[in-house]
Amino acid sequence: MDKKLTNVLIFLGVILVFFAVVMFVIGKGEAKEGALLNFSVDQATVVLRFVFVIIGLLIAFAAYYFTKENAAWEVGTRQVVWMAIGAALYAVFSWLFNGTVFVVPSLSQVALRPAIAIPMFFGYAFGPVVGFFSGAVGNMFGDALTGFGLSPQWSIGNGLIGLVAGMAMLFKDRKQSMNTILYISGALVALTALLFFLNRNQPNMLFFDPANNIFGDSTISIFAGISIVVGFVLVAAVRFGFASNEDIAAAVTWGMLGNIIGLLFASLSDIWIDGFSLPAAIVGEFLPAAGPNLIFAAILVPLLVVAYAAVQRQSGR
Amino acid sequence: MLVAWKYRKRRSIIQWFDPRAWLIFYACFLFSTLAFWDVRFLLPFFILTLIVLFTSGVKWREIRRAFLFIIGFVFFFSFFTFLTGRGGAELYKQEHLIREFKTSFSIFGWTPVLKITVERAFYAVSQFVRVGSIAIMTILIPYSLNPALYGITFKGLGLSDKFAYAMDLTMRFIPTFGRDFQLTVDAQRARGYELERISGGLIQQVRKLGPIIVPVTIHAIIGSEDIIDAMDLRAFGIGPRTWIDVLNRDLKDRILIWFGVLILATSFVLSLFGYGKFWVPDILIRLFQK
Repeated sequence: MDKKLTNVLIFLGVILVFFAVVMFVIGKGEAKEGALLNFSVDQATVVLRFVFVIIGLLIAFAAYYFTKENAAWEVGTRQVVWMAIGAALYAVFSWLFNGTVFVVPSLSQVALRPAIAIPMFFGYAFGPVVGFFSGAVGNMFGDALTGFGLSPQWSIGNGLIGLVAGMAMLFKDRKQSMNTILYISGALVALTALLFFLNRNQPNMLFFDPANNIFGDSTISIFAGISIVVGFVLVAAVRFGFASNEDIAAAVTWGMLGNIIGLLFASLSDIWIDGFSLPAAIVGEFLPAAGPNLIFAAILVPLLVVAYAAVQRQSGR
Repeated sequence: MLVAWKYRKRRSIIQWFDPRAWLIFYACFLFSTLAFWDVRFLLPFFILTLIVLFTSGVKWREIRRAFLFIIGFVFFFSFFTFLTGRGGAELYKQEHLIREFKTSFSIFGWTPVLKITVERAFYAVSQFVRVGSIAIMTILIPYSLNPALYGITFKGLGLSDKFAYAMDLTMRFIPTFGRDFQLTVDAQRARGYELERISGGLIQQVRKLGPIIVPVTIHAIIGSEDIIDAMDLRAFGIGPRTWIDVLNRDLKDRILIWFGVLILATSFVLSLFGYGKFWVPDILIRLFQK
């Protein structure tokens, strides 16, 4: 067995042991009332839950094993420089558009955060490793520059956006993979939009209104709630409208799935970290973040893809 | 041309330590602070932050703009949460009213009411202390970490040569791209483009950001070819990398690391046992009990 494969197996094994300890040892006890960290696990279904952990890790391992020869996972000089450029650009754009330098207006609680196009584009154009680094490290530096401090789970979530966007490279049949991604994303969009309609009274915790200096207060507006549906429709329109230009269609489609998975990861983690309820995490955090991001995926990512294609044609690289 | 951070050598607590030790301590501090909402548990972190700030050697005129923005933002965020009371709804169920202010007018049948409660007041204070501690500690890093040591610092923290160098480049590129962004905005302004006055529908607004984002990004990618060529010519990534600067970790650095780890472990144990949750003094609750 080669060294790389052994390392991956050890890494996954450590994660499995960690989950086993949390679920079977720490999770046995009841959480103290008001405790910030609640690790208690329903012992009636603990085995089933653990099985899902194993399945998740097996899927991750299978994804790696069957694609380990793929060039998408390689990290050479070019990838190192692109990682740094992607992360630095994402950090700078996040800092500038977070309201510190330029106040970009909001529309019906939909904050314009165009920087998210960077990890999506870098992931798609330069691979999953570059995408992950650009998103995770860029978000970390962006938050640090803005002075928000660090939210590691949101940085990882941003990293996942770039990682998933870059996984387009792993599939030979791009059309089929795009269609599958569209179905999966559609199902997730429908599910989260349904949660919004069932929980209309949730405050929009990501909303910052520069005109009135309001942060995290107003109940989520209808447009913010359905922005993910609007974004999905726009992405689908780009997917089929640019059917002849597979690069544009694939970049926005994979960027969309990355955005959904990455931000679901980050917002759901706040259930444990900040003690949010599921509706608060999805309606108050996920929807106002993921909806506008999809709109950016549909508009800005194609612009970057077209501009980069022109550069490639000129430079021949 | 690369633009650098406003780093300079100072006589400060931060720069007295090895940068690796300081970053590890910072990470421990960050996660420990996040474990608490009780202002009694948060205050030691805040005091530590103030000690680090006042001994950092960073001059007020260097940090003024960023500092005022951050503290203003944290203060306003906390104050607004205090006025609305929404942010803490996940942490407390019951509120004890201190005073209620009601306007003499109504807007479409709705009368604005401001309720000042014990829980809201303490939540605002806790939030200010919690976020303020993290924000101040974070903002000091670029002013105190020598850019020449970025790469070796991350390498020393366990990253591979490639990822350590990528982190090094990221930190070096940030001020450069910030300058490029400003140049692009100025160039577009000269053509009549005004970023501050973006108008139209949502899609129009997003599209109008293209003339800023696309040139900066593509310019950075084109510029990367020179860096890639330079690195390839020096055989980057072929074998283990050597670094010009060498970092030495001595006793004081080990003490700082273990101090950070101790704080982190204690914080997690305390939070696991239910300590450090949102707290309001009993005396105030009794005082305002109906």
